[in-house]
Amino acid sequence: MKLIKSIVRPNKVDDVKNALEKLQISGMTVTEVRGHGKQKGHTAIYRGQEYNVSLLPKMEIEVVVPDAAVNDAVKAITEAARTGEIGDGRIFVIPVGESYKIRTGEREV
Amino acid sequence: MPDPQITPAETPADPRAVRAARLEATRAELAAASERGEGGRLALKQYSHRMDAIVQELFAGAGPLAQPVGVFALGGYGRRQLCLHSDIDLLILFGGPIGSQDERFLHAFLNPIWDFGLTIGHHVREVQEGERLADDNPEFLLALTDARAIVGDAVLLDQFSAATDGTRTATRTLDALRSLIADRHARFNDTIYQLEPDVKDSPGGLRDLFAARTIARLTAPGLLGQGGSGLRALEDAEEFLLRVRSILHLESKRHHNVLSHELQERAAVRLGYSGSTPRQQVERLMSDYFRHARAIDRSLRWALKSAPAPMGQNLVRSADGIRFVDARAAADRPETWLAAFQSALDNGCAVSDDMLTSIQQHAGRFRAEDFFPTDAHRAALLRFLKPRPGLYARLSEMHEVGLLGQMFPEFRAITCRVVRDFYHKYTVDEHTLLTIRNLERLANAGPDRQRFGRLLGELDAPELLVLALLFHDVGKWRDDDHHVESAVMARRMFDRLRLDDHARATIEFLVVEHLKMSVAAFRRDTEDPEIVRQFAALVGVEERLKMLCLLTLADVEAVSLETLTPWKEELLWRLYVDTYNHLTLSYGDEVIDGGQSAASEIAKHAPADLDRRSIEEFLRGLPRRYLQLFSPEAIYTHVRRSRNVAGDSIEAWLEKQADGWELTVITHDKPFLFSNISGVLSSYGMDILRGFAFTKPDGLIVDTFHFADVERFLELNPEGAEKVIKRLEDVIAGRTDLAARLKGIEEGALRRKLPGFAPVVHCDNESSRRYTIVEIVAENALGLLYRMSRAMSESGCEVDLVLIGTEGRRAIDVFHLTRQGRKLTEDEQRELTGNLLRVLEGRS
Repeated sequence: MKLIKSIVRPNKVDDVKNALEKLQISGMTVTEVRGHGKQKGHTAIYRGQEYNVSLLPKMEIEVVVPDAAVNDAVKAITEAARTGEIGDGRIFVIPVGESYKIRTGEREV
Repeated sequence: MPDPQITPAETPADPRAVRAARLEATRAELAAASERGEGGRLALKQYSHRMDAIVQELFAGAGPLAQPVGVFALGGYGRRQLCLHSDIDLLILFGGPIGSQDERFLHAFLNPIWDFGLTIGHHVREVQEGERLADDNPEFLLALTDARAIVGDAVLLDQFSAATDGTRTATRTLDALRSLIADRHARFNDTIYQLEPDVKDSPGGLRDLFAARTIARLTAPGLLGQGGSGLRALEDAEEFLLRVRSILHLESKRHHNVLSHELQERAAVRLGYSGSTPRQQVERLMSDYFRHARAIDRSLRWALKSAPAPMGQNLVRSADGIRFVDARAAADRPETWLAAFQSALDNGCAVSDDMLTSIQQHAGRFRAEDFFPTDAHRAALLRFLKPRPGLYARLSEMHEVGLLGQMFPEFRAITCRVVRDFYHKYTVDEHTLLTIRNLERLANAGPDRQRFGRLLGELDAPELLVLALLFHDVGKWRDDDHHVESAVMARRMFDRLRLDDHARATIEFLVVEHLKMSVAAFRRDTEDPEIVRQFAALVGVEERLKMLCLLTLADVEAVSLETLTPWKEELLWRLYVDTYNHLTLSYGDEVIDGGQSAASEIAKHAPADLDRRSIEEFLRGLPRRYLQLFSPEAIYTHVRRSRNVAGDSIEAWLEKQADGWELTVITHDKPFLFSNISGVLSSYGMDILRGFAFTKPDGLIVDTFHFADVERFLELNPEGAEKVIKRLEDVIAGRTDLAARLKGIEEGALRRKLPGFAPVVHCDNESSRRYTIVEIVAENALGLLYRMSRAMSESGCEVDLVLIGTEGRRAIDVFHLTRQGRKLTEDEQRELTGNLLRVLEGRS
């Protein structure tokens, strides 16, 4: 079982969600986040004055999938979130030891 | 009591003699009542009534009227308490300017009264003088509070009073009254216990009684029943003092009000005081006098202490908020209701519960049009809707009592309307009002919201944004396409409020497109320049961009407490900045080339004197932005005037606008042209607030300057506009040296310069394919535009396009420059920046 954490452009959330649903992956957590990658933001100009936009708005999508589905899920996210431009985001795959359903206490391994 | 009968003469009597005899009989009647000690309210009312009849008769016989005239009784006569030797105080109001025929009428009317030997105090006024009523003398303001129509056009008094600023007049009347009371009491050493009191002027006398009643009438009619000595005690005191006063006039045979020792004895006898000696009779009389004087004094002090503050025509502020002085009169005048909410807004308080109850009871009787019957009322509504703290609370009060729904029936359609979705947490009406609360809170925004708060402060007409918010969701009474339905409903409101074309277009745009910015900001890739370009094309100009941005912010935040996150704010702001930059920096590359539908529409609907080809030719090469800045009518005028431009000739004209003046110049470009035009305006002290300069590839320029005539040159000089245009022609033709003329003004401006922020000059060679763009943000000052553009021309630059903006004390100008037809090199940019900073900092 793996946690797939994706940082994507805000406008790509629906595309990623649709792509994952096609793989029968429906449970997910979506969070508004701000950050920067290698480009460390950029400089913007408003009324002649420059200011740094160091933390860019992004969306974080978290899904937990069986080990066997990881490759397909990563591929689906990559294809759905890609524009080819700097700032498309990142995907992290993290091992998950155990998982519990809070309502029932049921344990999944 | 019947009128006193005059014995008919056998021959036709002289009307003057008949009137004199009737007056004499009337006076004898009052004298007899006074002798019996019965010259109180009833007798004086009778005498006043008989005097009214005489005045009416004289009015009818004074000859033909050239215009509406009304005669009104003032002061004691107005109160129907005319004593035997009282002055007859009259106000004679004319509907328009007083001419020679009116003066003949006045003589014919007033002379017979003087002939009777009566003392007249008369005021002759024109209705329009009511505009200055608040500045009139205090005694006249007070006398007016008792004004009563006797004969003629009674409506004139309403018009006279309505022409003035109600709050100022009421406040000044009360201030005057307080001051007159203090002065009068000081003359009597501030004590009622005078052994020889003046029954009219002494503390506790008749004037104090009328003062207490006037205060109550102007502020709270029930005031004297709520404290002081009570109404019954005041009535008794009034009757007593009037009877005594009538005796004093009778005994002294003149206007005499002092109850001297000698007259005390006679008054005691006439009033039937018992006692074995005159001394005992007098002591009982004076004991009664002081009892009544104390009652009046106590009530006056209560009134002075407890009266609510006047807040406008028929409005006061009491402990629980703004309320009507006369709720019954207000109930039939719905056009006055908004003033109460405006007053509450101005004073940071609520509208009182009893007033809200009264409005709730009566609101349903009126149509939407009844609330805004005149241009002044419609303008007052727009003024009321300017966003500031308290607006949401006042609108909510209006909504709760049904007033908002009567003023805007479209809004009634969404009252308590529930739309079930995953996001909205409130009914549609409350969501709408919350958007306005969100907007008004921006006025005092904390650091995290200041950038949006500044946008709000920069709007020319923020009330249009509030109107758009009020209407943006009214279409939700239906279940589909609510933005389209909202726009349809908003158009009905446009007609009722008679909004101008600009206001209609702005509100309709905001209502129809109110979802577009949130879609673009939150669901599109705003880093894609094409998305920004499309969005910039949608909004067109900066003002609409700012409004749509603020509307979106307020709308999203009003969905629920959690909906607008800092993350979303950032996305919204980024889209705003990118679009703003596109509108101001990149528009020079987007020119009209014949393929634009807007241009085709302009050409297609050309008036008969313009052919399609000449319009297309004029438009070709101008930035597309030009089409969004000017109405079709303005564009047709430009085309017409441009046909007269040949060689060095110029077409220039001035137009008065709602908030200033506008100069338009069409001519062929030449060095220093832009700086010369702005310099000419500065030479007349004009403050240039906003404007645009466009240059076509063929060298034709179209420049517009919106400016404030700070020194009122155009207002005070009938030929001022011609002089400005003549100087402009002379300067552009090189016949007048502008620099010498402006030198003194510039030095003065630099000396007066307020300490402010450091100027910003930013050169940009990236945003446009054709131009170097120079953005300048600096402290606004007279001649600033002239000095900056002159520095550019002196640096060898051509000024091709200019956006001129002023926001408060900040001038925000964007210049599109070239040098010998190309962009500036980096060295040239550095040199220009240095020159500009020297100019802006006053170092050259």
